[in-house]
Amino acid sequence: MEAEMEEELRAHLENEVAKRVRSGLPVDEARRRAAIEFGGFDQVKEECRDARGVNFIETTLQDLGHSLRVLRRNPGFAATAILTLALGIGATTAIFSVVDTVVLKPLPFPTADRLVRIRSVIAATGNGGVASYPDFLDWRARSHVFDGMAVFETSDLTLIGSGEPLHLQGAVVSAQLFPMLGANPALGRVFMAQEDHPASAGGADPVILSYSLWQREFGSDASALGRSLQLGGRPFTVIGVMPRSFQFPIQGEPIELWTTIAADAGGSQPMTGQRGAHYLDVVGLLKRQVPLPQAEAEMAAIASALNKEYPENKPRTVRIVPEIQGLVGPIRAPLLMLLGAVGCILLIVCANVANLLLARATGRHKEMAIRAALGASRRRVTRQLITETMALGLIGGGIGLVLALALLRLLVQLIPADVPRLGAIGLDGRLLGFSLLISLTAGFLFGLAPALRASKISLSASLTESGRGSGSEGKALARLRSGLVVSEVALAALLLPGAALLMQSFLHLIQLDPGFDPQRVLTFQLDTPPGKQVPWFVREVVASISAVPSVSSASAVASLPLTGDNIRSSIEIEGEPTPVGSRPSADFNAVEPDYFRTLRIPLVMGRDFTERDDSKSTPIVIVNRALADLFFANQNPIGKHIRPGIGNGYGPGEPPMREIVGVIGDVKQDQLSAEASPEVYAPLAQSPFSSLFIVARTANDPNGIVAGARRRLASIDKNVPLYHVETLDQYLARSVAIPRFVTLLLGGFAGFAVLLACLGVYGVMSYTVVRRTHEIGVRIALGASAGKILRGVLGTGVLLASVGVAIGMIASFSLARLLSSVLYGVRATDPAVFVLASFALLVVSGLASYVPARRAARVDPVVALRCE
Amino acid sequence: MNERIDLPQGTLDLLILKTLALEPQHGWAISERIQQVSSEALRIQQGSLYPALHRLERRGWIKARWGSSLNNRRAKYYGLTVSGRKQLEAEETAWRKLTAAVGQVLETV
Repeated sequence: MEAEMEEELRAHLENEVAKRVRSGLPVDEARRRAAIEFGGFDQVKEECRDARGVNFIETTLQDLGHSLRVLRRNPGFAATAILTLALGIGATTAIFSVVDTVVLKPLPFPTADRLVRIRSVIAATGNGGVASYPDFLDWRARSHVFDGMAVFETSDLTLIGSGEPLHLQGAVVSAQLFPMLGANPALGRVFMAQEDHPASAGGADPVILSYSLWQREFGSDASALGRSLQLGGRPFTVIGVMPRSFQFPIQGEPIELWTTIAADAGGSQPMTGQRGAHYLDVVGLLKRQVPLPQAEAEMAAIASALNKEYPENKPRTVRIVPEIQGLVGPIRAPLLMLLGAVGCILLIVCANVANLLLARATGRHKEMAIRAALGASRRRVTRQLITETMALGLIGGGIGLVLALALLRLLVQLIPADVPRLGAIGLDGRLLGFSLLISLTAGFLFGLAPALRASKISLSASLTESGRGSGSEGKALARLRSGLVVSEVALAALLLPGAALLMQSFLHLIQLDPGFDPQRVLTFQLDTPPGKQVPWFVREVVASISAVPSVSSASAVASLPLTGDNIRSSIEIEGEPTPVGSRPSADFNAVEPDYFRTLRIPLVMGRDFTERDDSKSTPIVIVNRALADLFFANQNPIGKHIRPGIGNGYGPGEPPMREIVGVIGDVKQDQLSAEASPEVYAPLAQSPFSSLFIVARTANDPNGIVAGARRRLASIDKNVPLYHVETLDQYLARSVAIPRFVTLLLGGFAGFAVLLACLGVYGVMSYTVVRRTHEIGVRIALGASAGKILRGVLGTGVLLASVGVAIGMIASFSLARLLSSVLYGVRATDPAVFVLASFALLVVSGLASYVPARRAARVDPVVALRCE
Repeated sequence: MNERIDLPQGTLDLLILKTLALEPQHGWAISERIQQVSSEALRIQQGSLYPALHRLERRGWIKARWGSSLNNRRAKYYGLTVSGRKQLEAEETAWRKLTAAVGQVLETV
């Protein structure tokens, strides 16, 4: 195209010359006149190109090529800018990926938007969340706003088939669940409604397998259908296999098999028949177009009616939340906060790169001026500059994406393991799209400032001005750069106090006393095999483990601390009779002798259980200090009697009064940060639970005894697998996992932000010094001391930083309240933190300004005045 | 030297299209022809001519082809397309209506 135009114009010119020659002019004169009249080729060509309205793609490609050349010519600048961008974009993309997969993505069911969690909570306190089966049945029968309702609960099951007994994570669900989720099996069928009821005597209940279980244990063989299995000692028949992608419940360990609620409905006093046994999660499918508040109101009315019909139970009401909210609840706020923080980082990065570009723009304004002189329109120049910065953004974004993938791998290690959908985090279309969008937006954002500035160049001013731009152009530029730095410091000031608060909170948390000594204690879970008596079996296991050489003591417990795995029970105090529905409650636990000694839980009063305390001797309990203080303040609880509402081990009828024989220190059974609840401990021999934790304190590394423990257990009974092998230290670490994760990350971000802001301050102050070298030289020549110059520059730097700090701190203070939900033992608006953070930032900014300030002070006036 | 008459942009397009109605011509020839036929009143500078030609080409009303000129040199010839012919008709009609109307006003007022 270019060559053609050239040729065409040249031909036209030649014709004009020829014409003039024909009219009698000498050739030279003709040529001269023609050339003058003709004008400049380039301008015409430019206009022709514009008139063609060209090829957007052609121009863009041209610009891109030019941009790459420009970048290659300035490798230092390019490397700095691209690296900074890559870090910013990479971090943002990584965090976004986590937030997107865990919080934002809809649930993988066709009916996801209508799925809700129906929570049965205590009317007075709002605590609870799980329902009883009779309540659920009434809900389902009486409500009109749901297309379906189902219960579910997870349970550990032992599969006994060929080979080793397998411990599996299973779920007990209503038959209606699968149709409600819109889930179809890969093989076989899902449950039918009548299968909620136990099979007739001798029959087997149905079970559905997960895809991975089917692959692993059944060799993906279609003949698995119809096969019978032993689960937890009962017969089941395989009726279906779910697709590989199916998962319900989504949170926690992947479920390997699903059975119906019939599994809980066996026995003479099944849990499913007790209205007071609240242990099931309930999920509902809202009818189309029914708003959530309407459904909640209807359910609350039904709950209220049930309260009246069954006054012996504590009054309850119903809360409904969208299923996804219930799932990601606790991790949602922290993750969104991290996304906000990393967004701040990205903004700081953009400001930094914009500053870099502006610094370079000063050196390029001659180039711009020449372009303008050659006829480039403002639009064209602006467009070319924006293309340049977008190219920069894309390159930085590309590298950032690679960085993000690496960062993701790291993040997934750090994130608490029970965060839902962790496994699904990875590269996908949404992520790529996000990365692209961010790169282009960033490129556009930080290119805007230099581009706008460049397009306003006045020709003569640029061409005659000194290379530094000390005119009004330079001033506007300096103001822009200062403005960018102020915003950088402000953003850093926004993040710093939050990080400091979180760190303080975390330190408080890990210094909390859990009530026991977690060091070097191994724990694992096991289920008493059916047909064996719990007390006898447990005693054998504990004795066997105690015999391991490095074990200093061992015991067993029904609910381990920090697992939140509590059994709530009503308590009746002797001499203070109260009706069942309004009795106070406490946590109920059962232990073997020596449990308290093994965990180093202090025995404050009385005695521990011994082997002589069994089902034939007096029913006794040990209580904790919280219970003693609550019910027996100012009295000696030893010898008093209480009646926990749990009667396993004592047959039907009301459970017996039990004598308090000891008081122990409080133990954090649930959350480390929560207050200890009142607890009652009974001897396992008097209150047998078949699913137990075995605990063993070792002299050396607890993990060293695992193999030995397995062997010994196998020699007692080969059908009993032990599972959930962990040390108490690990449980403790897990309980602070979310705070640790958030603190670490936000702390990292804040640190990075401060670093970037300092670089920004340093950059701008250096630039200011260079720009005003001449002026400084004059000052020094006129007698100003080096110290004064230094203080002047330092002062400017600190002033800039102060403005940024002030803005940032105000913003941070007003947002601090958002942090309160994740803080422990620390007030979100503690002024000391903000003051300290401000001070720290100012000091650091001062340091960043110090180097340029020193350079200013050492300016040689002779050189400065000479250089122009 | 004749006074330069400033041609509004649309009019230049019309003149170019009309000039090409007879036969395809190259750029210089177009400007010479317009100059001649208007008795030197209209002199089209190449600064306006070539952008106009490119514009017309983009709109699809003329089409360019390289050929050899009278003195056997390579020259780019522009010719009317079918849609160009239609455009010429439309613009010519519009122009005549306009000038007639303006003329009427100038006569009577």
